Amino acid sequence: MTKLLELRENLKLILNRYEAFIIPIGKFLLAFSVLSVVNGQMGYMSRLDNAALVLIVALTCSFLPLGAQIFFGAIFSLAHMYTLSIEVALVGLCMYLLIFVLFFRFGPKDALVVLMTPLLFFMKIPYVMPIAMGLLGGPASAISVGCGVVVYYLNYSVVNNAATISTMGGDEAVAKIRLIIDSAVANKEMLIVAAAFVVTTLAVYFLRRLAMEYSWTIAIVSGAMLNLVILMLGDLIYDVNISVVGAILGGIVAIAVGKVIEFFRFCVDYRRTEKVQFEDDEYFYYVTAVPKMAVAAPAKTVKRINSATAPTRSVTTERTVAGQGRPRTGSSRSVTVNSQMVSSRRTADSDRADDYEEIF
Amino acid sequence: MLNEERVILMTKMASYEATDGKKHIKAGNFFRGDYLSIEVMKSLVYGTLAFALGFGLYVLYDFEVFMQDIYKMDLFVFIQNILIYYAVFIVIYGVVSYFIYSYRYKQARIHLKRYYQNLKKLSMLYQKK
Repeated sequence: MTKLLELRENLKLILNRYEAFIIPIGKFLLAFSVLSVVNGQMGYMSRLDNAALVLIVALTCSFLPLGAQIFFGAIFSLAHMYTLSIEVALVGLCMYLLIFVLFFRFGPKDALVVLMTPLLFFMKIPYVMPIAMGLLGGPASAISVGCGVVVYYLNYSVVNNAATISTMGGDEAVAKIRLIIDSAVANKEMLIVAAAFVVTTLAVYFLRRLAMEYSWTIAIVSGAMLNLVILMLGDLIYDVNISVVGAILGGIVAIAVGKVIEFFRFCVDYRRTEKVQFEDDEYFYYVTAVPKMAVAAPAKTVKRINSATAPTRSVTTERTVAGQGRPRTGSSRSVTVNSQMVSSRRTADSDRADDYEEIF
Repeated sequence: MLNEERVILMTKMASYEATDGKKHIKAGNFFRGDYLSIEVMKSLVYGTLAFALGFGLYVLYDFEVFMQDIYKMDLFVFIQNILIYYAVFIVIYGVVSYFIYSYRYKQARIHLKRYYQNLKKLSMLYQKK
Protein backbone atom coordinates (compact mmCIF):
# COMPACT_ATOMS: atom_id res chain seq x y z
CA MET A 1 0.00 0.00 0.00
CA THR A 2 2.82 2.38 0.87
CA LYS A 3 4.32 1.86 -2.58
CA LEU A 4 0.96 2.65 -4.17
CA LEU A 5 0.58 5.77 -2.06
CA GLU A 6 4.09 6.86 -3.03
CA LEU A 7 3.22 6.24 -6.67
CA ARG A 8 0.10 8.37 -6.26
CA GLU A 9 2.07 11.22 -4.73
CA ASN A 10 4.67 11.00 -7.51
CA LEU A 11 1.94 11.06 -10.14
CA LYS A 12 0.44 14.13 -8.50
CA LEU A 13 3.82 15.83 -8.48
CA ILE A 14 4.38 15.03 -12.15
CA LEU A 15 0.89 16.25 -13.04
CA ASN A 16 1.44 19.49 -11.12
CA ARG A 17 4.84 20.06 -12.64
CA TYR A 18 3.96 19.34 -16.27
CA GLU A 19 0.30 20.42 -16.18
CA ALA A 20 0.89 22.94 -18.96
CA PHE A 21 1.88 20.10 -21.34
CA ILE A 22 -0.21 17.20 -20.02
CA ILE A 23 -3.61 18.94 -20.35
CA PRO A 24 -3.21 19.97 -24.03
CA ILE A 25 -1.79 16.51 -24.84
CA GLY A 26 -4.79 14.88 -23.11
CA LYS A 27 -7.20 17.13 -25.00
CA PHE A 28 -5.42 16.35 -28.25
CA LEU A 29 -5.60 12.59 -27.65
CA LEU A 30 -9.28 12.79 -26.72
CA ALA A 31 -10.19 14.87 -29.78
CA PHE A 32 -8.11 12.63 -32.02
CA SER A 33 -9.79 9.45 -30.68
CA VAL A 34 -13.30 10.92 -30.89
CA LEU A 35 -12.87 12.18 -34.46
CA SER A 36 -11.14 8.97 -35.56
CA VAL A 37 -13.98 6.89 -34.10
CA VAL A 38 -16.58 9.09 -35.85
CA ASN A 39 -14.69 8.75 -39.15
CA GLY A 40 -14.11 5.03 -38.64
CA GLN A 41 -17.74 4.29 -37.81
CA MET A 42 -19.45 6.62 -40.29
CA GLY A 43 -16.90 7.83 -42.85
CA TYR A 44 -19.43 8.60 -45.59
CA MET A 45 -17.78 11.91 -46.49
CA SER A 46 -14.41 11.02 -47.98
CA ARG A 47 -13.07 14.57 -47.59
CA LEU A 48 -13.47 14.39 -43.81
CA ASP A 49 -12.14 10.85 -43.54
CA ASN A 50 -8.61 12.14 -43.78
CA ALA A 51 -5.95 11.59 -41.11
CA ALA A 52 -4.26 14.96 -41.78
CA LEU A 53 -7.53 16.84 -41.28
CA VAL A 54 -8.30 14.92 -38.08
CA LEU A 55 -4.81 15.73 -36.84
CA ILE A 56 -5.21 19.45 -37.56
CA VAL A 57 -8.62 19.64 -35.87
CA ALA A 58 -7.36 17.63 -32.87
CA LEU A 59 -4.37 19.97 -32.55
CA THR A 60 -6.72 22.96 -32.65
CA CYS A 61 -8.90 21.34 -29.98
CA SER A 62 -5.91 20.86 -27.70
CA PHE A 63 -5.76 24.63 -27.11
CA LEU A 64 -9.51 25.24 -26.98
CA PRO A 65 -12.02 24.50 -24.19
CA LEU A 66 -13.63 21.06 -24.07
CA GLY A 67 -16.83 22.47 -25.58
CA ALA A 68 -14.95 22.90 -28.86
CA GLN A 69 -14.41 19.15 -29.05
CA ILE A 70 -18.15 18.56 -28.79
CA PHE A 71 -18.69 21.16 -31.51
CA PHE A 72 -16.20 19.55 -33.89
CA GLY A 73 -17.45 16.05 -33.07
CA ALA A 74 -21.03 17.13 -33.88
CA ILE A 75 -19.88 18.87 -37.11
CA PHE A 76 -18.02 15.74 -38.26
CA SER A 77 -20.97 13.49 -37.42
CA LEU A 78 -23.49 15.83 -39.13
CA ALA A 79 -21.30 16.12 -42.23
CA HIS A 80 -21.20 12.32 -42.57
CA MET A 81 -24.98 12.17 -42.03
CA TYR A 82 -25.42 14.87 -44.69
CA THR A 83 -23.43 12.83 -47.21
CA LEU A 84 -25.63 9.84 -46.47
CA SER A 85 -28.86 11.80 -46.66
CA ILE A 86 -29.91 15.38 -45.99
CA GLU A 87 -32.98 14.15 -44.06
CA VAL A 88 -30.81 12.16 -41.67
CA ALA A 89 -28.62 15.23 -41.14
CA LEU A 90 -31.74 17.28 -40.41
CA VAL A 91 -32.89 14.81 -37.72
CA GLY A 92 -29.32 14.69 -36.32
CA LEU A 93 -29.15 18.50 -36.18
CA CYS A 94 -32.52 18.70 -34.41
CA MET A 95 -31.37 16.09 -31.85
CA TYR A 96 -28.07 17.85 -31.16
CA LEU A 97 -29.84 21.19 -30.81
CA LEU A 98 -32.40 19.66 -28.44
CA ILE A 99 -29.63 18.23 -26.27
CA PHE A 100 -27.77 21.55 -26.34
CA VAL A 101 -30.81 23.69 -25.56
CA LEU A 102 -32.50 21.48 -22.98
CA PHE A 103 -29.71 19.83 -21.04
CA PHE A 104 -26.42 21.54 -21.66
CA ARG A 105 -27.76 24.60 -19.90
CA PHE A 106 -27.58 22.71 -16.61
CA GLY A 107 -24.21 21.05 -16.99
CA PRO A 108 -21.91 22.84 -19.46
CA LYS A 109 -18.90 21.69 -17.43
CA ASP A 110 -19.64 18.05 -18.19
CA ALA A 111 -18.80 18.34 -21.89
CA LEU A 112 -16.21 15.63 -21.34
CA VAL A 113 -18.93 13.16 -20.31
CA VAL A 114 -20.92 13.64 -23.52
CA LEU A 115 -17.73 12.94 -25.48
CA MET A 116 -16.50 10.06 -23.37
CA THR A 117 -19.78 8.11 -23.15
CA PRO A 118 -19.96 7.27 -26.90
CA LEU A 119 -16.22 6.59 -26.85
CA LEU A 120 -16.64 4.10 -23.98
CA PHE A 121 -19.54 2.47 -25.84
CA PHE A 122 -17.16 2.00 -28.76
CA MET A 123 -14.59 0.45 -26.38
CA LYS A 124 -17.35 -1.85 -25.02
CA ILE A 125 -17.03 -0.50 -21.46
CA PRO A 126 -19.87 2.06 -21.21
CA TYR A 127 -20.83 0.92 -17.68
CA VAL A 128 -17.77 2.73 -16.33
CA MET A 129 -19.28 6.13 -17.05
CA PRO A 130 -22.22 6.24 -14.57
CA ILE A 131 -20.02 4.89 -11.76
CA ALA A 132 -17.20 7.35 -12.54
CA MET A 133 -19.54 10.34 -12.77
CA GLY A 134 -21.40 9.35 -9.62
CA LEU A 135 -18.04 9.38 -7.83
CA LEU A 136 -16.53 12.48 -9.42
CA GLY A 137 -19.49 14.61 -10.45
CA GLY A 138 -22.69 15.99 -8.98
CA PRO A 139 -26.34 15.09 -9.51
CA ALA A 140 -26.39 17.19 -12.73
CA SER A 141 -23.83 14.78 -14.22
CA ALA A 142 -26.66 12.26 -14.60
CA ILE A 143 -28.13 14.53 -17.29
CA SER A 144 -24.82 14.61 -19.19
CA VAL A 145 -24.47 10.83 -18.99
CA GLY A 146 -28.02 10.49 -20.40
CA CYS A 147 -27.12 12.93 -23.21
CA GLY A 148 -24.01 10.86 -24.00
CA VAL A 149 -26.17 7.74 -24.34
CA VAL A 150 -28.58 9.54 -26.72
CA VAL A 151 -25.66 10.82 -28.85
CA TYR A 152 -24.22 7.30 -29.10
CA TYR A 153 -27.52 5.68 -30.08
CA LEU A 154 -28.27 8.40 -32.64
CA ASN A 155 -24.97 7.75 -34.43
CA TYR A 156 -25.31 3.99 -33.95
CA SER A 157 -28.76 3.94 -35.56
CA VAL A 158 -27.47 5.99 -38.52
CA VAL A 159 -24.62 3.49 -39.04
CA ASN A 160 -27.02 0.55 -38.62
CA ASN A 161 -29.52 1.88 -41.14
CA ALA A 162 -27.01 3.35 -43.58
CA ALA A 163 -27.46 0.53 -46.11
CA THR A 164 -31.26 0.87 -46.09
CA ILE A 165 -31.13 4.68 -46.30
CA SER A 166 -28.71 4.66 -49.23
CA THR A 167 -31.05 2.43 -51.24
CA MET A 168 -34.01 4.76 -50.67
CA GLY A 169 -34.74 7.27 -53.38
CA GLY A 170 -34.99 11.04 -53.10
CA ASP A 171 -38.81 10.86 -53.11
CA GLU A 172 -38.79 8.86 -49.86
CA ALA A 173 -37.64 11.73 -47.67
CA VAL A 174 -40.35 11.27 -45.05
CA ALA A 175 -39.69 7.52 -44.88
CA LYS A 176 -36.01 8.21 -44.17
CA ILE A 177 -36.89 10.63 -41.39
CA ARG A 178 -39.34 8.14 -39.92
CA LEU A 179 -36.76 5.36 -40.07
CA ILE A 180 -34.13 7.39 -38.22
CA ILE A 181 -36.55 8.70 -35.61
CA ASP A 182 -37.94 5.22 -35.00
CA SER A 183 -34.53 3.62 -34.67
CA ALA A 184 -32.86 6.44 -32.70
CA VAL A 185 -35.43 8.30 -30.62
CA ALA A 186 -38.04 5.60 -30.13
CA ASN A 187 -35.36 2.99 -29.51
CA LYS A 188 -36.33 1.01 -26.40
CA GLU A 189 -32.76 -0.18 -25.81
CA MET A 190 -31.59 3.43 -25.73
CA LEU A 191 -34.32 4.39 -23.29
CA ILE A 192 -33.47 1.47 -20.96
CA VAL A 193 -29.72 2.16 -21.07
CA ALA A 194 -30.26 5.92 -20.56
CA ALA A 195 -32.60 5.26 -17.60
CA ALA A 196 -30.16 2.73 -16.08
CA PHE A 197 -27.21 5.14 -16.42
CA VAL A 198 -29.11 8.12 -14.99
CA VAL A 199 -30.41 6.14 -12.00
CA THR A 200 -26.96 4.57 -11.39
CA THR A 201 -25.19 7.95 -11.50
CA LEU A 202 -27.63 9.42 -8.98
CA ALA A 203 -27.49 6.33 -6.72
CA VAL A 204 -23.67 6.30 -6.68
CA TYR A 205 -23.59 10.04 -5.97
CA PHE A 206 -26.01 9.85 -3.03
CA LEU A 207 -24.49 6.66 -1.56
CA ARG A 208 -20.93 7.94 -1.64
CA ARG A 209 -21.97 11.07 0.24
CA LEU A 210 -23.52 9.12 3.12
CA ALA A 211 -21.76 9.48 6.45
CA MET A 212 -20.90 5.81 6.83
CA GLU A 213 -17.75 3.77 6.63
CA TYR A 214 -16.64 2.50 3.23
CA SER A 215 -19.34 4.64 1.59
CA TRP A 216 -17.38 4.91 -1.68
CA THR A 217 -16.87 1.16 -1.99
CA ILE A 218 -20.53 0.53 -1.14
CA ALA A 219 -21.56 3.14 -3.71
CA ILE A 220 -19.38 1.58 -6.43
CA VAL A 221 -20.58 -2.00 -5.89
CA SER A 222 -24.24 -1.05 -5.37
CA GLY A 223 -24.13 1.20 -8.44
CA ALA A 224 -22.76 -1.58 -10.64
CA MET A 225 -25.38 -4.02 -9.33
CA LEU A 226 -28.23 -1.53 -9.69
CA ASN A 227 -27.16 -0.82 -13.26
CA LEU A 228 -27.18 -4.54 -14.02
CA VAL A 229 -30.59 -5.05 -12.41
CA ILE A 230 -32.21 -2.18 -14.37
CA LEU A 231 -30.70 -3.43 -17.63
CA MET A 232 -31.90 -6.99 -16.99
CA LEU A 233 -35.37 -5.82 -15.97
CA GLY A 234 -35.60 -3.67 -19.09
CA ASP A 235 -34.44 -6.58 -21.19
CA LEU A 236 -37.08 -8.86 -19.62
CA ILE A 237 -39.92 -6.40 -20.02
CA TYR A 238 -39.14 -5.02 -23.49
CA ASP A 239 -37.08 -7.90 -24.93
CA VAL A 240 -34.32 -5.71 -26.39
CA ASN A 241 -31.50 -8.30 -26.37
CA ILE A 242 -29.02 -6.63 -24.03
CA SER A 243 -25.99 -8.89 -23.60
CA VAL A 244 -26.06 -10.30 -20.05
CA VAL A 245 -22.42 -11.43 -20.16
CA GLY A 246 -21.35 -8.06 -21.55
CA ALA A 247 -23.26 -6.25 -18.81
CA ILE A 248 -21.71 -8.44 -16.06
CA LEU A 249 -18.17 -8.07 -17.44
CA GLY A 250 -18.76 -4.35 -17.96
CA GLY A 251 -19.95 -4.11 -14.35
CA ILE A 252 -16.76 -5.79 -13.11
CA VAL A 253 -14.61 -3.40 -15.16
CA ALA A 254 -16.69 -0.49 -13.82
CA ILE A 255 -16.05 -1.64 -10.23
CA ALA A 256 -12.30 -1.91 -10.93
CA VAL A 257 -12.19 1.59 -12.47
CA GLY A 258 -14.31 2.88 -9.58
CA LYS A 259 -11.80 1.49 -7.07
CA VAL A 260 -8.95 3.20 -8.94
CA ILE A 261 -10.86 6.50 -8.81
CA GLU A 262 -11.50 5.94 -5.11
CA PHE A 263 -7.80 5.38 -4.52
CA PHE A 264 -6.92 8.69 -6.14
CA ARG A 265 -9.84 10.72 -4.83
CA PHE A 266 -10.93 9.32 -1.46
CA CYS A 267 -8.23 7.21 0.10
CA VAL A 268 -8.96 7.18 3.82
CA ASP A 269 -7.99 4.98 6.73
CA TYR A 270 -11.15 3.94 8.59
CA ARG A 271 -9.12 2.12 11.27
CA ARG A 272 -7.90 5.47 12.58
CA THR A 273 -11.34 7.09 12.68
CA GLU A 274 -11.73 9.58 15.49
CA LYS A 275 -15.02 10.53 17.10
CA VAL A 276 -14.93 13.78 18.99
CA GLN A 277 -17.51 15.84 20.84
CA PHE A 278 -17.40 19.51 21.69
CA GLU A 279 -19.75 22.42 22.17
CA ASP A 280 -19.99 26.14 21.72
CA ASP A 281 -22.64 28.64 22.85
CA GLU A 282 -25.24 27.42 20.38
CA TYR A 283 -24.51 23.80 19.44
CA PHE A 284 -23.19 20.43 20.54
CA TYR A 285 -20.93 18.90 17.90
CA TYR A 286 -20.55 15.16 17.32
CA VAL A 287 -17.79 14.88 14.74
CA THR A 288 -16.39 11.81 13.02
CA ALA A 289 -12.98 12.54 11.49
CA VAL A 290 -11.47 9.99 9.13
CA PRO A 291 -7.78 10.54 8.36
CA LYS A 292 -6.61 10.43 4.77
CA MET A 293 -4.00 7.87 3.82
CA ALA A 294 -0.97 9.79 2.72
CA VAL A 295 2.77 9.42 2.49
CA ALA A 296 5.25 12.05 1.44
CA ALA A 297 6.65 11.59 -2.03
CA PRO A 298 10.19 10.24 -1.72
CA ALA A 299 12.58 13.09 -2.38
CA LYS A 300 15.91 12.40 -4.01
CA THR A 301 18.74 13.85 -1.96
CA VAL A 302 22.17 14.40 -3.37
CA LYS A 303 24.86 14.24 -0.73
CA ARG A 304 27.98 16.23 -1.54
CA ILE A 305 30.98 14.58 -0.05
CA ASN A 306 33.56 17.09 -1.27
CA SER A 307 31.77 20.22 -0.03
CA ALA A 308 31.41 21.00 3.68
CA THR A 309 29.21 24.10 3.46
CA ALA A 310 25.46 24.07 2.94
CA PRO A 311 24.28 25.37 -0.45
CA THR A 312 23.40 29.03 -0.31
CA ARG A 313 21.64 31.37 -2.68
CA SER A 314 21.63 35.13 -2.80
CA VAL A 315 18.47 37.18 -2.94
CA THR A 316 18.58 40.87 -3.70
CA THR A 317 15.64 42.88 -2.44
CA GLU A 318 14.89 46.43 -3.48
CA ARG A 319 12.75 48.81 -1.53
CA THR A 320 10.57 51.05 -3.72
CA VAL A 321 8.37 53.97 -2.80
CA ALA A 322 4.91 54.00 -4.42
CA GLY A 323 4.88 56.05 -7.59
CA GLN A 324 8.65 56.47 -7.78
CA GLY A 325 9.57 53.31 -9.67
CA ARG A 326 12.93 51.56 -9.22
CA PRO A 327 15.38 53.11 -6.77
CA ARG A 328 18.80 54.20 -7.86
CA THR A 329 21.68 51.79 -7.70
CA GLY A 330 23.14 51.54 -4.24
CA SER A 331 19.89 51.53 -2.24
CA SER A 332 19.33 47.76 -2.55
CA ARG A 333 20.25 45.29 0.17
CA SER A 334 21.49 41.75 -0.17
CA VAL A 335 20.22 38.78 1.89
CA THR A 336 21.72 35.33 1.91
CA VAL A 337 19.18 32.54 2.49
CA ASN A 338 20.21 29.14 3.66
CA SER A 339 18.15 26.40 1.98
CA GLN A 340 17.64 24.62 5.33
CA MET A 341 15.98 27.75 6.73
CA VAL A 342 13.37 27.72 3.99
CA SER A 343 12.48 24.06 4.21
CA SER A 344 12.06 23.98 7.98
CA ARG A 345 9.61 26.85 8.21
CA ARG A 346 6.46 25.08 7.09
CA THR A 347 3.85 25.35 9.80
CA ALA A 348 2.02 22.28 10.98
CA ASP A 349 -1.35 24.03 11.31
CA SER A 350 -1.81 24.72 7.62
CA ASP A 351 -1.15 21.09 6.76
CA ARG A 352 -3.28 19.63 9.50
CA ALA A 353 -6.55 20.77 7.91
CA ASP A 354 -5.81 18.66 4.81
CA ASP A 355 -5.16 15.47 6.77
CA TYR A 356 -8.84 14.64 7.27
CA GLU A 357 -11.61 13.94 4.79
CA GLU A 358 -14.81 15.90 5.22
CA ILE A 359 -17.60 13.34 5.34
CA PHE A 360 -20.58 15.50 6.20
CA MET B 1 9.30 39.67 4.14
CA LEU B 2 7.10 36.90 2.80
CA ASN B 3 4.30 35.82 5.11
CA GLU B 4 3.65 32.14 4.42
CA GLU B 5 0.13 32.10 5.88
CA ARG B 6 -0.84 35.09 3.75
CA VAL B 7 0.61 33.54 0.61
CA ILE B 8 -1.27 30.26 1.19
CA LEU B 9 -4.53 32.14 1.79
CA MET B 10 -4.08 34.31 -1.29
CA THR B 11 -3.24 31.26 -3.43
CA LYS B 12 -6.40 29.47 -2.28
CA MET B 13 -8.50 32.56 -2.94
CA ALA B 14 -6.95 33.17 -6.36
CA SER B 15 -7.58 29.54 -7.30
CA TYR B 16 -11.22 29.87 -6.23
CA GLU B 17 -11.62 33.17 -8.13
CA ALA B 18 -10.24 31.57 -11.27
CA THR B 19 -12.60 28.57 -11.17
CA ASP B 20 -16.02 28.44 -9.48
CA GLY B 21 -15.57 31.88 -7.96
CA LYS B 22 -16.37 33.67 -11.23
CA LYS B 23 -19.80 32.05 -11.42
CA HIS B 24 -20.45 32.41 -7.70
CA ILE B 25 -19.48 36.09 -7.59
CA LYS B 26 -21.77 36.72 -10.57
CA ALA B 27 -24.64 34.96 -8.78
CA GLY B 28 -23.82 36.73 -5.52
CA ASN B 29 -24.36 40.12 -7.19
CA PHE B 30 -28.09 39.35 -7.36
CA PHE B 31 -30.76 38.94 -4.72
CA ARG B 32 -32.07 35.38 -4.68
CA GLY B 33 -35.39 36.32 -6.29
CA ASP B 34 -33.75 38.32 -9.09
CA TYR B 35 -31.23 35.58 -9.83
CA LEU B 36 -33.91 32.89 -9.96
CA SER B 37 -36.21 35.06 -12.11
CA ILE B 38 -33.45 35.66 -14.67
CA GLU B 39 -32.40 32.02 -14.83
CA VAL B 40 -35.97 30.70 -15.03
CA MET B 41 -36.75 33.25 -17.77
CA LYS B 42 -33.71 32.04 -19.71
CA SER B 43 -34.91 28.46 -19.22
CA LEU B 44 -38.34 29.40 -20.58
CA VAL B 45 -36.73 30.83 -23.72
CA TYR B 46 -34.58 27.70 -24.18
CA GLY B 47 -37.57 25.48 -23.38
CA THR B 48 -39.69 27.24 -26.03
CA LEU B 49 -36.92 26.72 -28.58
CA ALA B 50 -36.67 23.04 -27.62
CA PHE B 51 -40.44 22.61 -27.88
CA ALA B 52 -40.41 24.20 -31.34
CA LEU B 53 -37.67 21.76 -32.41
CA GLY B 54 -39.58 18.81 -30.98
CA PHE B 55 -42.78 19.95 -32.70
CA GLY B 56 -40.85 20.32 -35.97
CA LEU B 57 -39.59 16.75 -35.66
CA TYR B 58 -43.12 15.53 -34.89
CA VAL B 59 -44.50 17.25 -38.01
CA LEU B 60 -41.65 15.86 -40.14
CA TYR B 61 -42.24 12.36 -38.79
CA ASP B 62 -45.89 12.38 -39.84
CA PHE B 63 -45.55 14.91 -42.65
CA GLU B 64 -47.69 13.07 -45.23
CA VAL B 65 -50.53 12.36 -42.79
CA PHE B 66 -50.26 15.89 -41.45
CA MET B 67 -50.56 17.39 -44.95
CA GLN B 68 -53.51 15.13 -45.79
CA ASP B 69 -55.37 16.00 -42.60
CA ILE B 70 -54.58 19.69 -42.41
CA TYR B 71 -57.64 20.70 -44.43
CA LYS B 72 -59.93 18.27 -42.62
CA MET B 73 -58.85 18.89 -39.03
CA ASP B 74 -60.27 21.50 -36.69
CA LEU B 75 -57.32 23.89 -36.58
CA PHE B 76 -58.58 25.62 -33.44
CA VAL B 77 -58.64 22.32 -31.49
CA PHE B 78 -55.26 21.34 -32.93
CA ILE B 79 -53.65 24.65 -31.85
CA GLN B 80 -55.37 24.37 -28.46
CA ASN B 81 -53.87 20.89 -27.96
CA ILE B 82 -50.42 22.10 -28.99
CA LEU B 83 -50.66 24.99 -26.53
CA ILE B 84 -51.69 22.64 -23.71
CA TYR B 85 -48.68 20.39 -24.43
CA TYR B 86 -46.46 23.46 -24.56
CA ALA B 87 -47.81 24.76 -21.25
CA VAL B 88 -47.30 21.39 -19.50
CA PHE B 89 -43.77 21.06 -20.89
CA ILE B 90 -42.72 24.60 -20.09
CA VAL B 91 -44.13 24.46 -16.54
CA ILE B 92 -42.25 21.21 -15.79
CA TYR B 93 -39.04 22.57 -17.33
CA GLY B 94 -39.44 25.86 -15.45
CA VAL B 95 -39.99 24.09 -12.11
CA VAL B 96 -36.96 21.85 -12.63
CA SER B 97 -34.89 24.93 -13.55
CA TYR B 98 -36.14 26.74 -10.46
CA PHE B 99 -35.01 23.94 -8.15
CA ILE B 100 -31.64 23.51 -9.87
CA TYR B 101 -30.85 27.23 -9.80
CA SER B 102 -32.06 27.74 -6.24
CA TYR B 103 -29.70 24.92 -5.19
CA ARG B 104 -26.86 26.55 -7.15
CA TYR B 105 -27.58 29.95 -5.61
CA LYS B 106 -27.48 28.42 -2.13
CA GLN B 107 -24.15 26.74 -2.89
CA ALA B 108 -22.78 29.98 -4.33
CA ARG B 109 -23.72 31.89 -1.17
CA ILE B 110 -22.05 29.27 1.04
CA HIS B 111 -18.82 29.46 -0.97
CA LEU B 112 -18.91 33.24 -1.17
CA LYS B 113 -19.38 33.46 2.60
CA ARG B 114 -16.22 31.42 3.06
CA TYR B 115 -14.45 33.56 0.46
CA TYR B 116 -15.39 36.81 2.22
CA GLN B 117 -14.27 35.34 5.56
CA ASN B 118 -10.91 34.62 3.95
CA LEU B 119 -10.79 38.17 2.60
CA LYS B 120 -11.40 39.50 6.10
CA LYS B 121 -8.73 37.21 7.49
CA LEU B 122 -6.31 38.41 4.82
CA SER B 123 -7.06 42.02 5.62
CA MET B 124 -6.38 41.30 9.33
CA LEU B 125 -3.09 39.65 8.45
CA TYR B 126 -2.06 42.79 6.54
CA GLN B 127 -3.09 44.99 9.48
CA LYS B 128 -1.10 42.83 11.91
CA LYS B 129 1.99 43.48 9.80
